[in-house]
Amino acid sequence: MDDGKTLFIDYSKCIGCETCEYVCRFVGDMPRIHMIRAASGFMAPLYCRHCAEPNCAKVCKRGAIVRDVDGAMVLDPMLCRGCESRQCMLACPYMAIFETDKGVTVVKCDLCASRRQRGKKPACAEMCPCGAIHYVTRDEAAGLGDEAAGEAEKRVLDFLRPPKAKPEPGA
Amino acid sequence: MEPMNFNFLCGDPPPPSGLSVGIIGAGPSGLAAAGYLSCLGHAVEVYDKMPRPGGLMLFGIPGHRIPRERIEAGTLRMARRYGVIFHTHTKICCSAPLFEEEGDHFCNEVKGLGEMIKKHEAIMIATGSWRSRRLGVPGEDLPGVLSGLQFLFPIRAAHYCAPGVKAPDVAGKRVIVIGAGHSAVDVAHGAVALGAASVDMLYRRSRSEAPCGALEIDRLEAAGVTWHERCLPEAVLGETTLAGLSYRQGGELKTLPADLLVAAIGEVATPPFAKELGLESVRKGEVRWLNMTAIDNVFVAGDALTGPSKIGKAIYSGLRAARSLAQWLDLKAQNRQTEFAGDELISREADRFPGGEFRDAPRVRGR
Repeated sequence: MDDGKTLFIDYSKCIGCETCEYVCRFVGDMPRIHMIRAASGFMAPLYCRHCAEPNCAKVCKRGAIVRDVDGAMVLDPMLCRGCESRQCMLACPYMAIFETDKGVTVVKCDLCASRRQRGKKPACAEMCPCGAIHYVTRDEAAGLGDEAAGEAEKRVLDFLRPPKAKPEPGA
Repeated sequence: MEPMNFNFLCGDPPPPSGLSVGIIGAGPSGLAAAGYLSCLGHAVEVYDKMPRPGGLMLFGIPGHRIPRERIEAGTLRMARRYGVIFHTHTKICCSAPLFEEEGDHFCNEVKGLGEMIKKHEAIMIATGSWRSRRLGVPGEDLPGVLSGLQFLFPIRAAHYCAPGVKAPDVAGKRVIVIGAGHSAVDVAHGAVALGAASVDMLYRRSRSEAPCGALEIDRLEAAGVTWHERCLPEAVLGETTLAGLSYRQGGELKTLPADLLVAAIGEVATPPFAKELGLESVRKGEVRWLNMTAIDNVFVAGDALTGPSKIGKAIYSGLRAARSLAQWLDLKAQNRQTEFAGDELISREADRFPGGEFRDAPRVRGR
């Protein structure tokens, strides 16, 4: 059983309105969820899944990405040295770690750590007008989402890492 | 479904501050501002011409994209728990004549801005963009020619049983949709769902340039819509009623018969009394205080300021304007406004000003 918290976004419900990104920007200055638009026109927010076996933490030589009490993978800016190779960004299969041009070198979602301390949910989940963002445990997340959500998720992941055998036109 | 939490910045309602703020417009940016300000304990009153708060989230975007219950429960929570008062069916006007926009037939009370300034310590204008852009070709005033909003709006509004609002009569008609943005897509899907005999979509550029994206067009074609690209409308045909559309495709003049023509080519901002408020300078950031208009204590946010954007941008603008308004009220209470002239503050935030580019937008490697 895995009761660590994570976000689950149903990409088939997302309309690309960017509310999550802008609310995150308001709460944390630098957005830690980022809307992309593919050439074919679909839009999807890239977000951290707080994986059970996180690649980002594995590759970070400084051990700057650690799991907190609620199960969120949190970047400790005191430990991050901002390595030039940006290992964590490259290692993330969901492209959910972002480069910044001020302060810390990279930012990532911490499931609104300061809000959680005060018993609140992540701001994006609270404000998404479509109700596409769920703040759930990893176990619950595995059971969420229908066929359309799975299809949409696959479309996004194929866009991020185009499959080798049959590259998608326009991706 | 859980309500949208406009009060996401605070937990329990704070003690009352004794100040009252009026917000004109209950769309995404007005509601975000209402959430922010009610979290500070201000008594917030929201005015909207529509029968329910929610703006185009409720009345423009179809229900299968944004669930109605989530918005309605969110505004109800704000009213019950945080004491925000919603005045629906109410339009705020200057002495200027009423704008002719969609949704005007709902409003049965018109108030003046002067009255509002006396009643509230501060005002936020978040009226959005409701006036439709026009084609600018002969014949577009014929009956049977609609804008995207004119078509979409009654479908949702008919739920609220307003007299004189009926879902458009589309069954068995030949429909032409001009444009390829998201509302054009929604119009085309709506027309198919309402039983149109045929739906033709015309766009001036190619499929890959369409703002809605090629994927949405594939979906439309699967639903039975015919897609025409690189088409420039020349004239709307018909004597007393609409007969069709003539357009140019690759230099060749073509015609297409139609019973209904929907021009979903975007909206323009409709701030009340733009000139009196000096909105042009607010837009450029030439102001004394972030988001404050030429009139003291009157602020502006959202699409009313920037023109049509996205829900996310409108919410962000509403939140920032609300923060700026709250800071202004704080300083005013101490009579110290002049000490913190906006220059530095504004230059610091210039790139985030509505219309400004976000220089610090997140970057994704390899893309």
